[in-house]
Amino acid sequence: MDAAERELYTQSVRAAVAAAQSSDLDATLSALGWHDALGADRRSAVAAVFEACGELGGRGPLDDVLGAELRPQQATDGVAVLLPELGQADPPAARHGDQLVVRGLVRAEVARTGTVLVTARHPGGVELHAVATTDLDVGPALALEPSLGWAEVAGMASAGSPLVADAAGDWERAVALGRLALAHELVGAGRRLLELARVHALDRVQFGRPIAGFQAVRHRLADGLVATEAAAAAVDAAWDLATPEAAGSAKAVAGATARQVGRHAQQVLAGMGFTAEHPLPAVVKRTLVLDQELGSAATLTREIGAELVAGRALPQPLPL
Amino acid sequence: MDLEAFRARLDAWLHQHEEELRVADGDAHRNLEGDLRQLAKVKRATFDAGWMRWGWPERVGGLGGSTLLRAYLGEALTRRDLVEPGIYSMTEVLAPTMVDHAPPDLAAAMVPRLLSGDETWCQGFSEPAAGSNLAALACRAVRDDGVWRVTGQKVWTSLAQYAQRCVLLARTGPAESAHAGVTALFVDMDSPGITVRPIETMHGVPEFCEVFLDEVRVPFERTLGEVDHGWSVAMDLLPYERSTALWHRGAFLHRRLGDLLAEAPAGSLDATAVGQAYLQLFALRARSRRTQHRLADGARLGPETSVDKIMLATTEQSVFELVPDALPGSLMAGQDPASTRWRSDYLYSRAATIYGGSLEIQRNIVARRLLELGPER
Repeated sequence: MDAAERELYTQSVRAAVAAAQSSDLDATLSALGWHDALGADRRSAVAAVFEACGELGGRGPLDDVLGAELRPQQATDGVAVLLPELGQADPPAARHGDQLVVRGLVRAEVARTGTVLVTARHPGGVELHAVATTDLDVGPALALEPSLGWAEVAGMASAGSPLVADAAGDWERAVALGRLALAHELVGAGRRLLELARVHALDRVQFGRPIAGFQAVRHRLADGLVATEAAAAAVDAAWDLATPEAAGSAKAVAGATARQVGRHAQQVLAGMGFTAEHPLPAVVKRTLVLDQELGSAATLTREIGAELVAGRALPQPLPL
Repeated sequence: MDLEAFRARLDAWLHQHEEELRVADGDAHRNLEGDLRQLAKVKRATFDAGWMRWGWPERVGGLGGSTLLRAYLGEALTRRDLVEPGIYSMTEVLAPTMVDHAPPDLAAAMVPRLLSGDETWCQGFSEPAAGSNLAALACRAVRDDGVWRVTGQKVWTSLAQYAQRCVLLARTGPAESAHAGVTALFVDMDSPGITVRPIETMHGVPEFCEVFLDEVRVPFERTLGEVDHGWSVAMDLLPYERSTALWHRGAFLHRRLGDLLAEAPAGSLDATAVGQAYLQLFALRARSRRTQHRLADGARLGPETSVDKIMLATTEQSVFELVPDALPGSLMAGQDPASTRWRSDYLYSRAATIYGGSLEIQRNIVARRLLELGPER
């Protein structure tokens, strides 16, 4: 896509996501050609869809993104991909002999009846398997924010012959791509949090003036904007650098930012933002989940720092 | 020349000439006069070889081409530790002002002297009673026949004790005219009536000065922009301070964080704190690169560069805040050049959220202009 086409595509994605109910978001995205776009112009598609989901609400189709790297050609179209459990980026299963020990996250609607693609570690490497969810224990949708539609899955299943015998490289690329997608979703959520707080600050009158006039409020929002723009730039740079390390860096920046902006927005919205009828709480809860998916900002930041300290040098910086 | 060709050819040239461009023995880093000698040497060599002229218009002695070439030159020199980025980047702040606002003859005559390292210039904006509130400036210029007579005081004027010229803001309207009654002037620093007093600083480098002006005569042809429209000259200058100069400083922070990782004893660095500083630097560079490309594409930079400045200031402090815990002996007791440098850089980083528009002023700009929160009251 050129710049004009990308802009048009982004606008149509935003309009569709805004109009969709959470139950039909996936159908809406399919109708927009999401799966084709993921193959044809991955960067534009992931950026548009995940930022729109982050900003306007709705579950970003993270499993589709991992599937784009993991799926063997066509054979498994429509089969959901199992994600790692919250906080983790390792494959969601381990194979011991002919047993798969599974622990992960799956879209709630396929959890009870479908088949899932499961990436599994074993002493010799990483494989991809198809597993029936009837063999697994499927939990309810995440208690913190059920509307996200992710459910925990755990259990043991017998391993047939793998769909892919050497999936280590696929998994590394899938995690990197997933982290970029999540970083976009977190940036979108950050923008939404900031806008909710901004509108409230302009509307809410105390001491005879909008609270947007108070420097304590303004500076919180200014810091939120700076952090969100920093995260947006970091995600762009990570696409350009196209390394797993850069994707991890972008995810770390975006996760920390969304949580920080969430704290600022919550404080500015005060009592209003504490009520269940206000949109803020759902966004705050969503950012907590997004931050944990494929590794949290806290974990990634510590890991990145530890690697730098051990290597005693910085990687090559982003070229001008 | 495009950026890729420039990068490849400049890197090769720097590699070839690195030995002669190196800091001379005895010119220890963070010794201001040594740093200035080094700056003049590198500017002269890169000007004569043409590198310093790329990215500047031909009418001021440049060779044309994208502003990205200037950004890359500063980065390449900073990365190799050939120039001190703060004094190097003053060119990026002052030369564009001359290109955009000086009478064409004056710009053509003067800008090459700055680019080639023949001259040092300074920027006379801040005053004792006009820091964050620049519109309160009181240094007065009165028109008298064909000259301005300038009287007042400037402060925090970097390198004024070495400078041949000064881009100065003076009040030309009534005292209450605020933004509307300011004019920008290009002043010769050897004019009678100018007294310069360097300020001893916390980091041991007397780069800031007080400048006293007593009935200083400035030819009217040295007016930059329109009379009483100096505010727009200043507002055009500030985004440069927050764009190319900042890209250079980002490269400097990258080098110094790398130095710290190499020098810190095992176990002295906290992984999370290092990770945070690195990620701030990663995002800063990403943001700053975007700004560089917007500038090169002809965008008019404005209040959004306050985002870049806030990121730079907070990143600089995060990087150097690692030093007291990682190298306490070097920072606090070391007498060797490397220790002197850590001490000076660490202490200077305390000013990162103060100079060039404090963190609070930048946040005010973001709140008012980018978030559109209305007036503060």
